[in-house]
Amino acid sequence: MRFTKAIVPITLCILLMTLAAPAQKYKARAAKQRAVVSPIDTEALKGLLTQQRERPLLVNFWATFCDPCRDEFPDLVKIDKDYRPRSLDFVTVSLDDMTDIKTTVPQFLDAMKATMPAYLLNASDPEPAINLVDKRWQGDLPATFLYNEKGEVVYKHIGRVNTAELRAAIEKVVSKKGEGQ
Amino acid sequence: MKTRNLSILLASLFVIAGAVFAAGARAEGEVPAPAAIGSTIEDFTLPDVDNKDRSLKSLAGKNGTVLIFIAVQCPVSNAYNERMAKLAEDYQAKGIAIIGINSNVAEDAAAVKAHAAEHKLAFPILKDPGNKIADRLGASVTPEAYFIDPNNKLLYHGRIDNARNPAQIETSDLRNALDAALGGKTIEKTEAKAFGCTIKRA
Repeated sequence: MRFTKAIVPITLCILLMTLAAPAQKYKARAAKQRAVVSPIDTEALKGLLTQQRERPLLVNFWATFCDPCRDEFPDLVKIDKDYRPRSLDFVTVSLDDMTDIKTTVPQFLDAMKATMPAYLLNASDPEPAINLVDKRWQGDLPATFLYNEKGEVVYKHIGRVNTAELRAAIEKVVSKKGEGQ
Repeated sequence: MKTRNLSILLASLFVIAGAVFAAGARAEGEVPAPAAIGSTIEDFTLPDVDNKDRSLKSLAGKNGTVLIFIAVQCPVSNAYNERMAKLAEDYQAKGIAIIGINSNVAEDAAAVKAHAAEHKLAFPILKDPGNKIADRLGASVTPEAYFIDPNNKLLYHGRIDNARNPAQIETSDLRNALDAALGGKTIEKTEAKAFGCTIKRA
């Protein structure tokens, strides 16, 4: 009888632990996968864009409040996955508010399973950064720029990207690199 | 006769090809170039939130007019609601009219009206069906402002100020332009890039 009384709480404990384990595992995995978004000021952005590099660089300017940005993001994640092994670097620069750096921006990147380096422009005045990237760019989002190893813009698109067009532009720079080796 | 028919056919094909090319010439997301500073903005008529036609001429201020492209759902435009309301309060008394224009295809007049009431935007707001005026002025984001003088000459185009967060305002570019014009001075900065949400065009 005593044994029967004891078995109920023991069974309940085992059941609870069994149920809690996957939840904890999921929580740990979610915490592990959480995207890290780094602040970048105008000077650092200038350094990132103009430096000579070993690999071509694709930069996407976006924001969580921008519908076409969110719309094109799955395509960009796919491009990152396809071309990162083929010597393309890809970074995203969010123009969200700095207060979003630990909330909406990484949450969106996590939802997209985006793993490319992610920055958020830390500038009270975005105009110098916009002019630095392209004087003719009005700052409308999304905006995508492809730089070659010398830091020269070889492709740009303001608005939702045309994936085929962007892939063709990337093919040119990555294949060129391949030919040169 | 056959030659004539062939000519007509070729001419028709040429016209159709031209139309197709013209339609496709504007890539998705591409915005016409902004109106140049010093250019004249032609009068236009748009429906207000009660679907009543209003012309720019009928709403213009005696000392000039500010057209601001605004949105209902854009968080950047919404961050400026109080500033826009204050702008209207401050400058309408000085003879400068403030007019809001909503060119977003997904935001109808009822939504624009409710939003204006909720945020106390006490200036006329016009709907821009087919984003014709946004295209004519080359507006790409919300909020984006155009300041014209009493003769519709464009004096300033761009942002309201430098910062979405009001605590970080360093330069109130639009107010500076309005103050300079009211004081008969030269506007030092006639253009400052507007930053915000892309206008959702039809």
